[in-house]
Amino acid sequence: MYPFGKGLSRHMPFLLLMIPVALYVLLAVGPSLVTIVFSFTNATGIPGTSWQFIGLDNYKTFFTASNAGDQVRAIGRSLYFAFAVVLIQNAVALLIAIIVNKRLRGDVFYRATYFLPVVLGVTVSGLIWQMMFNPMGGPAQKLLNVFGTQSNFFGSYDIAFELIIFVQIWMYMGYSMTIFLAGLQAIPKDLYEAGYMDGARGWSSFRHITFPMIAPAMTVNILLSIIGALQTFDIIYVLTGGNFETSTLAYNVFAAAFATTTSDFGRASAIAMIQFVFVFAFAIVAMLYFRKREVEL
Amino acid sequence: MKKWSALLLTMAVLLVLSACSGGNGGSATQSPNGDSGSKGSGDAGKQVTLRVLHWINEPVNKYMEDVFIPQFEEKYTNVKIDYTTVPSDSTYDQLMQTRINANDADIVAYKSSFVGAPQEWSPGAADPLWKQWADAGLLADLTEEDFIANYNPVDVENAMTYDGKVYGVNMGKVSFTGLFYNKDIFAQYNLDVPTTWDEFMVVLNTLKDNGVTPIGFAGKEVWPINLAVQGLQATIHEDQLAYIKGLWTGETKFTDPAAIEVLEKAQIMMNYAQNGFMGTDYGTLPSLFAAGQVAMAADGTWNAATYQGLNPDLNFGYFPIPGSSNAAVNGKLAGKYDMTWMVVEKSSNKDWALTFLEEMSSRDNYTAFVNAAGFLPTQDVTVDSEFINEIMPYLGEFILAWDQLAINRENVGQYADGSSPHAEFLKPAGPLESPQELADLSQKDWDAAAQ
Repeated sequence: MYPFGKGLSRHMPFLLLMIPVALYVLLAVGPSLVTIVFSFTNATGIPGTSWQFIGLDNYKTFFTASNAGDQVRAIGRSLYFAFAVVLIQNAVALLIAIIVNKRLRGDVFYRATYFLPVVLGVTVSGLIWQMMFNPMGGPAQKLLNVFGTQSNFFGSYDIAFELIIFVQIWMYMGYSMTIFLAGLQAIPKDLYEAGYMDGARGWSSFRHITFPMIAPAMTVNILLSIIGALQTFDIIYVLTGGNFETSTLAYNVFAAAFATTTSDFGRASAIAMIQFVFVFAFAIVAMLYFRKREVEL
Repeated sequence: MKKWSALLLTMAVLLVLSACSGGNGGSATQSPNGDSGSKGSGDAGKQVTLRVLHWINEPVNKYMEDVFIPQFEEKYTNVKIDYTTVPSDSTYDQLMQTRINANDADIVAYKSSFVGAPQEWSPGAADPLWKQWADAGLLADLTEEDFIANYNPVDVENAMTYDGKVYGVNMGKVSFTGLFYNKDIFAQYNLDVPTTWDEFMVVLNTLKDNGVTPIGFAGKEVWPINLAVQGLQATIHEDQLAYIKGLWTGETKFTDPAAIEVLEKAQIMMNYAQNGFMGTDYGTLPSLFAAGQVAMAADGTWNAATYQGLNPDLNFGYFPIPGSSNAAVNGKLAGKYDMTWMVVEKSSNKDWALTFLEEMSSRDNYTAFVNAAGFLPTQDVTVDSEFINEIMPYLGEFILAWDQLAINRENVGQYADGSSPHAEFLKPAGPLESPQELADLSQKDWDAAAQ
């Protein structure tokens, strides 16, 4: 009747659960609510300074100030970033998951290798790729020199942003791969055998068995990569510091709050709210779409 | 009934949790405050950790870590100094802000002096950080401290004072509108220090023709490029402050011939830079120069000790970038007041922080500091750096550089924001072909930001 015993111990699991819930409210929900409040104020984040409610001024400034064009371009880059990351990261991750899922010799080694960047962290990954793309005689530059050309890589307006996208995918591809791998390993072998009997080989076996069966993993991966990509600012900060037209909406939140010359928590909060709306909208649309796909099976 | 008791219990847990965290934060900052408040320098007994923030500047860091801090800790045995350094880019700006806002530092170095406050001719300009802090009462008022009298009154007035009160201790002046040059390479090709733009072009071309990379730029962080741009501005603009005021009132424009000339010449200089200069980070530039891979380097005088440290045999000097064809206006270096120590008002160790600054300000320690840092002194002491004494003639009267004078409009677009022209948008660094195009875009951004 009472799975956890009687008396007070009956409530024990719920009481213990309250601890993480309290921490969550304190450290996540609270600050989020404060962000909403801040977005309607001119708070600077400097203790001791007074601040007033200024209504929608921060939002108005975002869309109508003289640098609104820069903000719109930053939004465009955010979407470009998210689109590229979601598409490429998941495609590559799925491909590698399928390869790694085959019983190759040393498959554990490959899995660990592909997952390694996730563990490294942003700063280390950033340093590695800065060295790889060092225009002063780094390996990538040497390779380009063979073809008689050269580049400034992270210092170039042409490709700095694409290189950041590349590094982001490199960093989190292993994460997506692991989720796909879990999905792949949950597929019962007899499905393939049955498919084989019906003449499904190679591509058609992938299309009609593997792909539908990993739909839940796909939903999770797409959602996580949309949310992750739209919120990314750390790798941009490490690699280009927002220079060379690589700033995104998420980066601008950081820049508004911790700019060199002034700090403006009100405006940063407003940008964060706008970013939230984007993340929320895309995540909901993606979730509804992919969930429907799962059900149709 | 059971339901209610469970609810009550969880509420209690919640309350305890939130009370704990609040209490912790409070007591950590409060109790030492009360204790050390009554104690002055020389009081031994209670262990104190003095938290000092500074950015990475090798000569300064080396002096602090190897000389000053050990000496201070030996004299005041109960004080331990926690000296934190991080890269001088936005990493430092962010560290400084979060630590001051969280009251988690005692002494903080500001990257310049107290410049950039809105003037009567700059309506609607934003307050710089130091002013926001001072207005919020976060910076200790040092006006009454005896050690302030050690500094030259004019420097105290220009660099450390705001609203009639002294809020900082400026440790010296630097110039950054010139170029380091390798004397041996210059001698090898019979080159003299150029005094006009035409002579400068001869130097650049001679070096290039002989297969030597003329100028080293550190473009990755962008700001080091703008040092050279400000060198051009200092000589090409007749009166920089008048020009900047004119931008606000509309009497001058980003598209004025002088402003275009600055961008044109900046573009020319970048064409003589090393391959991959836009990916060269600021930390790498000294090693390029010290190894003789570039004949000149666009950098500030604060880095002279770094250059010397990398290669003690390096024979180098520094000259102002001759932006004009008129030699008479070229021979001057502009610069800024460099690092300013600020004491955090609500620091729990305020008295010790003041002792720290008092020690730094003593004649002996200050002299050792400026010599190590390669700064021009704000106290009346002699510098024995050969390098500084060599550039003294260029520094007759201290001229503030563009970024110390400029005040920007709020929410201005990317072509006009920041504190100097964005030469990095120009080829070969950036996407824009012509200086005129950049000047037009800058003016457009500037006009759009007008209130």
